[in-house]
Amino acid sequence: MRFRLIGINNQNFIMQDAETGSWWQQVTGRAIAGPMKGKQLTHVPHDEVTFGTWKADHPGGRVLKPDERIEARDDYASLGWERRMAKTRVVTTLPKGSPFTPRTLVVGITVNGRSKAYPLDVLQQSRVLVDVLNGVPVMLAIAEDGRSVRAFDRRVDGRGHEFVVTPSERLTLTDLETMSEWDFGGRATSGALAGRTLRRIPFLLEYWFDWQTHQPATEVYRRWRPAQRTVDRLEIPRP
Amino acid sequence: MRRLLWPLLLIAATAAATVVLVPTFTIHPFRPQTTRGVELSYVLKRAAPLVTAIALAVVLASALLLWGGARRWWRRGVIVLLVGVTGLVTWFARQNHFEWMFNALPNAEYVGVPEAREFLVDAEVVMGIDVNGTYRAYPVRQLAYHHLVNDVVGGTPLVATY
Repeated sequence: MRFRLIGINNQNFIMQDAETGSWWQQVTGRAIAGPMKGKQLTHVPHDEVTFGTWKADHPGGRVLKPDERIEARDDYASLGWERRMAKTRVVTTLPKGSPFTPRTLVVGITVNGRSKAYPLDVLQQSRVLVDVLNGVPVMLAIAEDGRSVRAFDRRVDGRGHEFVVTPSERLTLTDLETMSEWDFGGRATSGALAGRTLRRIPFLLEYWFDWQTHQPATEVYRRWRPAQRTVDRLEIPRP
Repeated sequence: MRRLLWPLLLIAATAAATVVLVPTFTIHPFRPQTTRGVELSYVLKRAAPLVTAIALAVVLASALLLWGGARRWWRRGVIVLLVGVTGLVTWFARQNHFEWMFNALPNAEYVGVPEAREFLVDAEVVMGIDVNGTYRAYPVRQLAYHHLVNDVVGGTPLVATY
């Protein structure tokens, strides 16, 4: 199917397929109107990381080339776009007693129908969050760049491991059961489990209001106020 | 017979305007949408090209028939206005105004990492995929504009969205 941008629905865009003219909601990948209504696009697992992290992992990979005409008009988002976006008005109303403000960035995970939102600033403070979601032991990790996020299944050979952050320049994790060391790719680099890789879990890194809209029954990772000043996640240092 | 032409002209022009303007004002980035509203907009937008074409034909025919007998200047003014509005919405029914604001990327092209460093900084976010051993990165700054990019990667047809 070939898609076009066709509209917007509570600040998440709608796309239309050329073949049937059906409308599909971007964030869910589900058709909301037309002949394909109810059908679901298959999500392609993706890595939401900084270019620095990605190119180190895939030096031979290829990057989407910008459209010269759009570049010439300077229409692509600037480096500070997230800061501007964070101030943009939200049109939907959150339920009363909502744990986060609408444009709080959260890491949203769904496991077998159960959803949970993990605030990004908490993850940035602690670098790793461990949890059990719908029976699955999960781990969220953030790289030393403060922005690349990955989620893993903590099980190796059916057994869930406990992880701690080991003081290091590059993100290094240690599992308490075998004291093996693991990197941000979820690979054990030393110890009894060296060579093993943790399974990645898909997630959505997005605004709380949108996550709430499409996952109304979501749980939230317990609120925690860091003692020191929160890292300014919107600051992108100029080269 | 003539008595019917004015209502016909008005109804046709109103129908054309309604079928185009309701979805346009409903599907709006700074207004909330309801499920019903979105579904209604879908139906109207689907019907719009045909409805406006028929309405335009009716409006033009009525206008031509009424023109000669419309002595008062303001009657002719109203006819011109209704024809103009109908023509405008008939044209608009065939446009995608979202793509005016966010031009589609006609063909996805890719460059290697060294070239990419000319337009990307290390700290900005990309969406990386691995499909059957083919590694591609979609910079968020570009996707934030285009909203979506169609392509076939590693043999799999996909659409990258943000």
